[in-house]
Amino acid sequence: MDLDFTKEQVEFRDQVRTWLVENKPTEPRPRNNAEIRDYDLSWQHAQWKGGWAGIAWPTEYGGRGLTLLQQLIWYEEYAAQGLPGIDANFVGLNHAGPTLITRASEEQKAFHLPRILRGESLWCQGFSEPDAGSDLASLKTKAIVDGDHLVVSGQKIWTSYADIGDYQELLVRTENGDSKHKGITWAICDMKSPGITVRPIKTMEGGAEFCEVFYDDVRVPLSNVVGELGNGWSVAMSTLSFERGTAFTANQVRLARIVEKLIDYARDHVGPDRRRPAIADDELARRLARVRASVASLRAMTYVGICENMKSDTPGPKGSMLKLLYSEVTKEAFALAMDIVGPEALRGNSRWDEHGWVGSYLYSFSQSIGGGTSEIQRNIIGERVLGLPR
Amino acid sequence: MDLLPSDEQLELISTASAFIESRMPIEDIRRRIDEPTSVDVDIWREGAELGLTTLGLSEVHGGSGRGLDDEVLLFATFGQHLATGPFLATTLGARIAAHCGDTELVAKISDGRALVGLAQLRDDGAVSPDGFKGTFDLIDAAGAGHLLVIAEDGAALVEATEFTGVETLESIDPGIRLATATVTSGRILHWVSASVDPIRTRALLLSAAGLAGVAQAAADMATEHAKTRVQFGRPIGVHQAVKHACTDMAVRADAARSQVYFAAAALQAGRRDSDFQVLAARISSSRAAIDNGAANIQIQGGMGYTYEHNAHLFLKRAHFLSHLVAEPTAALAEFLEQGAPQ
Repeated sequence: MDLDFTKEQVEFRDQVRTWLVENKPTEPRPRNNAEIRDYDLSWQHAQWKGGWAGIAWPTEYGGRGLTLLQQLIWYEEYAAQGLPGIDANFVGLNHAGPTLITRASEEQKAFHLPRILRGESLWCQGFSEPDAGSDLASLKTKAIVDGDHLVVSGQKIWTSYADIGDYQELLVRTENGDSKHKGITWAICDMKSPGITVRPIKTMEGGAEFCEVFYDDVRVPLSNVVGELGNGWSVAMSTLSFERGTAFTANQVRLARIVEKLIDYARDHVGPDRRRPAIADDELARRLARVRASVASLRAMTYVGICENMKSDTPGPKGSMLKLLYSEVTKEAFALAMDIVGPEALRGNSRWDEHGWVGSYLYSFSQSIGGGTSEIQRNIIGERVLGLPR
Repeated sequence: MDLLPSDEQLELISTASAFIESRMPIEDIRRRIDEPTSVDVDIWREGAELGLTTLGLSEVHGGSGRGLDDEVLLFATFGQHLATGPFLATTLGARIAAHCGDTELVAKISDGRALVGLAQLRDDGAVSPDGFKGTFDLIDAAGAGHLLVIAEDGAALVEATEFTGVETLESIDPGIRLATATVTSGRILHWVSASVDPIRTRALLLSAAGLAGVAQAAADMATEHAKTRVQFGRPIGVHQAVKHACTDMAVRADAARSQVYFAAAALQAGRRDSDFQVLAARISSSRAAIDNGAANIQIQGGMGYTYEHNAHLFLKRAHFLSHLVAEPTAALAEFLEQGAPQ
């Protein structure tokens, strides 16, 4: 066992750091979705131009074809520069992109993958429905084959950035099979198609990145189906395992930075006795130490997971363990922040603010719900990792 | 970067597991409860001859010269199987003896003729290269000719005869013997300062490895029971209240084990954040072992509360290990003082 990076990897880290320092965005990230689109896409475009897009993606689709370890190095340096998460590009880069790589046709890959990497298209996800959340396979949004098109009608929900997205990974029901997992189709939906209505949902945190999406006889070319008609469940599952696998590495690295910032904050700001720094309070100090240790072990688990992934091709259900721990530690960290900031907790702010602890705390509730609730992750781990009966 | 045990290391684990399961099975903890030591002298010797106390000792000193990663895997195996006997103190004692050129003692430890117990300061006494005093907890000291004493800035080997008026105490862990003694002016036999060899840090890490092993064993035991115990006509593991408890145990154990590996690699490489990583390992694995030990008892139900069941032994070992070298709250404070990790 060792934590040694090869000479090549060390050089790679140096190159990443140098490039990020010279090229990182200087403007703060805007707040409204239209401006976020421009900001996130142009930053992605800059990364592509610099040769940093799709580090672990195959070279034939415009990626660098490097290892997950180099991807990790990128995330670590990226977080070290205090840069915001990939956010609006998350679905394209960590979700739709990897799914297209494993399941799409050559035409689909050739069209979409370079656009994602170049920051020319923004993707969103159309999976959940009002009555199909954790029970995703019970989705009802219907698609009828009409000539060489699917005609889609129904509703999706919790679609981040649907209002600014170009394409959507859309799950529809194309037939009523004898099992609810059959008859689902995974299709690429152009968000500018006639018949789509997007309605943003304001969240408890104040932002409105989530949307409801309504489909009124939306025509999607059959050539946009990924996998085969009716085989979308297995395509969706490969997507979800990506989401729960490597995709959280970036967030995990960022969380470690946030906890260090919180410790600094507790050192630099007065605590509950209004005299000494917050860190002098025994309870706050111990909670900080515990959350710091949890974040350290989450990182170690991510490293171990990367070592395992580099030995096999597809991330397995172990990604659910990382996702679960990440979600729970995130919530613990921000709940602690609320106690550390003391009376500042009365003042609302945004998670994008410099000390946006309150906004981040409110946002943290989404972390154990989105991408599969913690309860669903526990079912997956219990059944697929531990082999407990259903 | 590689944090997975190699094939060779997996073989080491399986050899050690086989030895512990056959020669010091958990049942022996109960069987030997009235014996002065928790491990039989001959079995200890067999274990020593197998190299269980000198794995990390350099080959020059008769050890196997293996890395710290091998040692943490071994200590995790000890935890997982609740191995008995003063492995921690003897392993580190051999290092001190080797540093100080006491080849005779090293040789006796290597072939199992000498055991080293742990003497842990309980009050505001003092331990320095010049001597030691105070009230000490003596851990698995019966039958040991020497004791390991760990201080912030170094670690010492002292002769067991320095401790007089030893009072035997009831131990929370039936697999570990506990006694106490007060020393007014004790002599140090060998001293190694932390700058020469961070014995204290190694002790924290090896205890963390043991705790990670306990956490894993408790998680496995609960999961196994959840699969086989039938109530209401179905295995209890179908219920989310049980399934999710097992899941949380598995995640805690996995996180603790990963951090122990990470810390071993960091300390071995002399990274500047190695103290951070070791303390993080100790804190995560203490929490995992105690929480899993407790949750396992709940999953086992009434039988889990009985003396004849093994569940309580894992919880008790978890508590015992989590108080070695540093008190849990002191470890948290020390950890928070560390700078940001690398």
